[in-house]
Amino acid sequence: MNDNHRFDEELQDLLDGRLEEPARSEIAAHVTRCPRCREELAALERARAAARGLPPLAEPADLALRIASVLDAEDRASAPGPTRRRLAHRWPLVAAGLIAAAVLVALLLRPSATADLPAAVGRDFAGYRDARLALELRTGDPAALERFFAARGIAFPTRVFDLGMMRYRLAGGRVHRVAGRPSALFAYTGPNAAPLICEMYGGSLAELPRAAEQRVHDGITFRVYRVGRMTLVFWQEGTVVCVLASEGNTDEVVQLAYAKAVKV
Amino acid sequence: MVNRLRGGKIPAFSDPETKRAQFEAAALPFTGRLYSAARRLTGSDDDAADLVQDTFLRAYRTFENFQPGTNCRAWLFTILYSIFLNERTRHRPTLLSAEQLDTVAAADRELAPGESPWSLEVERALRRLPTAFRAAVLLVDVEELSYEEAAAAAGCLVGTLRSRLFRGRKLLGAMLRDHAREAGFPPPTKTSE
Repeated sequence: MNDNHRFDEELQDLLDGRLEEPARSEIAAHVTRCPRCREELAALERARAAARGLPPLAEPADLALRIASVLDAEDRASAPGPTRRRLAHRWPLVAAGLIAAAVLVALLLRPSATADLPAAVGRDFAGYRDARLALELRTGDPAALERFFAARGIAFPTRVFDLGMMRYRLAGGRVHRVAGRPSALFAYTGPNAAPLICEMYGGSLAELPRAAEQRVHDGITFRVYRVGRMTLVFWQEGTVVCVLASEGNTDEVVQLAYAKAVKV
Repeated sequence: MVNRLRGGKIPAFSDPETKRAQFEAAALPFTGRLYSAARRLTGSDDDAADLVQDTFLRAYRTFENFQPGTNCRAWLFTILYSIFLNERTRHRPTLLSAEQLDTVAAADRELAPGESPWSLEVERALRRLPTAFRAAVLLVDVEELSYEEAAAAAGCLVGTLRSRLFRGRKLLGAMLRDHAREAGFPPPTKTSE
């Protein structure tokens, strides 16, 4: 190996400060004498500087929501109790439960009571916003609120989510009624103290009037309604209907619904 | 990272909320950096978002393996690159030709407001590097991991990483030099250190 080819990756070691004495001094001295190695070193440094100068790339606006959504789903899957994974091994029981729930839902459904569910939820939102509808339990702890709903006789499993990553803090909840049936109502406080409520009740999307807009995300159908300045987003989880209501930007409410929804 | 993990797992989290809170505090601040690297590895906005999402999910599932106080960013890059390679092997079994890579590069992102056209040329040249070289340059030069951390992330020996980095930088430098010559201006001679 002649002198011109003595150093190759060692030049990179010199550039990156990975050489110890006496090798560092030896190679540095060689570079001062050898035009080829000098140019090689300069070229490596230019390439390194070019890569180091690359700016960070803007991430998609919904990436944080997507991440929160998969982490929520993972939390649910690993939570103690009858998760979907465990239920899969007990599907006959699950099927019987679903049939019973469906019968119950069918008995509960009365057309007169379900005529205008979006308006009913809109009234609940306005009631909470205007402090006419009080929370029965004030807590930022989703698990505590779920226990509260179970203790107060809500028959379906409630899933109260921490939406902190989306800058919505859980404020608390109350047992309420929608269209004559029990509902779990919980509230969040968003940016600039903007309120957001979620209600869960036994029912079906089929009871809802025609929506202004319908979106499908991850196989779940979302119905979007506007009531005054409010946006309401409904979706189905098993025998339970979930709805988010807020006066925030429609897309933001829809994204929050995407983050919360789970396919059952 | 292997050495780091050899010290043993941290105790399981006392409750799911603690785990979630600690994970969010330790890992989520790196979302932007992971996305940048994913975008530069995959060349696609959608694929990059999917890759980052999968990375966080896998990291969350194995968070007990992460030792607080060690480099969370390097750990996340290890997961990200591993998923990227697996996905790439599954969905793209054959290497792209230089012409195809040119097409991918040409279809690359647009210039952001205030961004230098030169950085887009660097992006394009980076995109044309073979994956292993590109990853080495991304991990060491763009993401500023140490050789050791980058080697762990790339799943190779430090010596291999050093070679890939050297060849990646040489190719990158040559492409940028050629481009600068064609465009009639010298590349910036930004020096560091």
